[in-house]
Amino acid sequence: MGEPIVDNGVVIDDTFAEAFPMKATRLVVTAFDASWASNAAVAMTGFATSVIACGCEAGIERTLAPEETPDGRPGVSVLIFAMSGKELAKQVERRVGPCVLTCPTTAIYAGLDDGEPIALGRNLRFFGDGWQISKMIDGKRYWRVPVMDGEFVAEETTPVVKGVGGGNLLILGRDTASALAAAEAGVAAMRRVPNVIMPFPGGVVRSGSKVGSKYPALMASTNDAFCPALTPLARNTELGGEVRSVMEIVIDGLTDADVAAATRAGIAAIVARGSAAGVLRISAGNYGGKLGPFHFHLHQLRGEEGGP
Amino acid sequence: MSASWLLRQRSVPPLGVDFAAVLPTRVAELSAAGLSRLALPIGRDTVALGELFDVAAGDGDLPGLRIEGDCRRLHGIGRGMDGGRIVVDGPVGDYLGAEMTAGEIRVDGDAGLLAACALAGGRIEIGGDVGDFAASALPGAIDGMRGGVLVVRGNAGARFGDRMRRGSAVIHGRAGDFLASRMVAGTIALAGEIGAHPGFGMRRGTLVFAGDRPRVPDTFAPTGHDICVFWALLARSLAPFGEPFDALAGRPPERVVGDLGVDGKGEWLLPA
Repeated sequence: MGEPIVDNGVVIDDTFAEAFPMKATRLVVTAFDASWASNAAVAMTGFATSVIACGCEAGIERTLAPEETPDGRPGVSVLIFAMSGKELAKQVERRVGPCVLTCPTTAIYAGLDDGEPIALGRNLRFFGDGWQISKMIDGKRYWRVPVMDGEFVAEETTPVVKGVGGGNLLILGRDTASALAAAEAGVAAMRRVPNVIMPFPGGVVRSGSKVGSKYPALMASTNDAFCPALTPLARNTELGGEVRSVMEIVIDGLTDADVAAATRAGIAAIVARGSAAGVLRISAGNYGGKLGPFHFHLHQLRGEEGGP
Repeated sequence: MSASWLLRQRSVPPLGVDFAAVLPTRVAELSAAGLSRLALPIGRDTVALGELFDVAAGDGDLPGLRIEGDCRRLHGIGRGMDGGRIVVDGPVGDYLGAEMTAGEIRVDGDAGLLAACALAGGRIEIGGDVGDFAASALPGAIDGMRGGVLVVRGNAGARFGDRMRRGSAVIHGRAGDFLASRMVAGTIALAGEIGAHPGFGMRRGTLVFAGDRPRVPDTFAPTGHDICVFWALLARSLAPFGEPFDALAGRPPERVVGDLGVDGKGEWLLPA
């Protein structure tokens, strides 16, 4: 590791975030108004913080104005990531059925143009018990399923693309309040970047993990190197005594360029607050390059104005 | 050799000529002389294309044909077409674009019987009227038009869309009797009036009446539910066909379903 950089009093480690390939899709949920679209999207992206236990990572990318959606109603764009196309197909079906089909006035569409298609409305249509209607419009097949408020319209399939999961930033703060405030600022900046989600609650995770555990049954365990409780105990600690709270932002994106753009925006927002706001260091999680092929070097990103 | 050809009529044939062999992707490989020698069935005999048309190189790099003249005795223009473009300045005979899978046909005139029957893909636009059984099935076949787009700027004959099962058809004028009879699926949008027995035996599919509201047969029943989502998608899709289809988005429709004698899953949309 090289020399750290100090910017506005914040130390930026000479390290990199390590990310890995995932499968991803974008779904567009529309509804009678923005509130109902949001209700469906929030439900659909619930319990989707980490593939380790949830099967997928999902989040709201952004809200959509009526002129941006296929049916001219307010909408929400959702990104879903999984470790395989098969698992992604399972998660999409499992989430869209109970969370969108059930939500009043909603409709759901594919949000990407190209990619290997997986079922969206193709199997949900059977809820119609034979009353469902298929409709081809401009080369796309939609299913119209009779429901009690009218009909549920779902596009038949959604394309799957290769995505990037596990981009991250670690924010080392003087105390919980300052680390949390910096993380919130970082997430707010990242949310303005398209094609990414921060899947953890509020975009922030406090239980960063490392691969493996002393318990063979567990595939991940606490990131002891960044736990302030273990500073005087863990041999591999990365912390000094002045760091009393660490927050992590995990970033999933449709491409490595998107994850890089979000990381860059996060660094800039956190550094702008400066050490006066209680942020001491910015670092990132990696596994020596063994986990994944995508490496986001913090110094490189900080020095770039534009693309990755 | 030329990718596209201009065919100027020299004489009107005394009998109907089967023109199906003259497809853009096929004739693009021929020389002018080869194209002129192309034998076309006429009655029990054949006639060389050069006897009917002067052949000249056309403009454009894509496989294409421009045909000028009275082609009412040319049947099967673009039949089985799998790409390229045909433009006809004048009326054409029967089976225009039948079984076509890709490409584009534009006719600046009327078309005969069975135009776009068994159409599977591509786009056909007819500037004038079209005869009976357009967008329907080949005689004796079970499936009618099953894909693609058919636009009729004039009026349509009887049995338009008979057994149609996919694709979109737009009629700017009137339609004859038995519109969408035995329709299985797909969309027909109509600007003008209709003849007798519309939707007879219609199993599924969508009819959009963008003009005057027709009398709804007793074998169709209203559903009062909200279809604003589907209507938004469909209206947006029909808008490029111009007036009166371009104003459908602002006219939320009444919906009736039928033919109740055969399951009743077909729908008529009657914009306000």
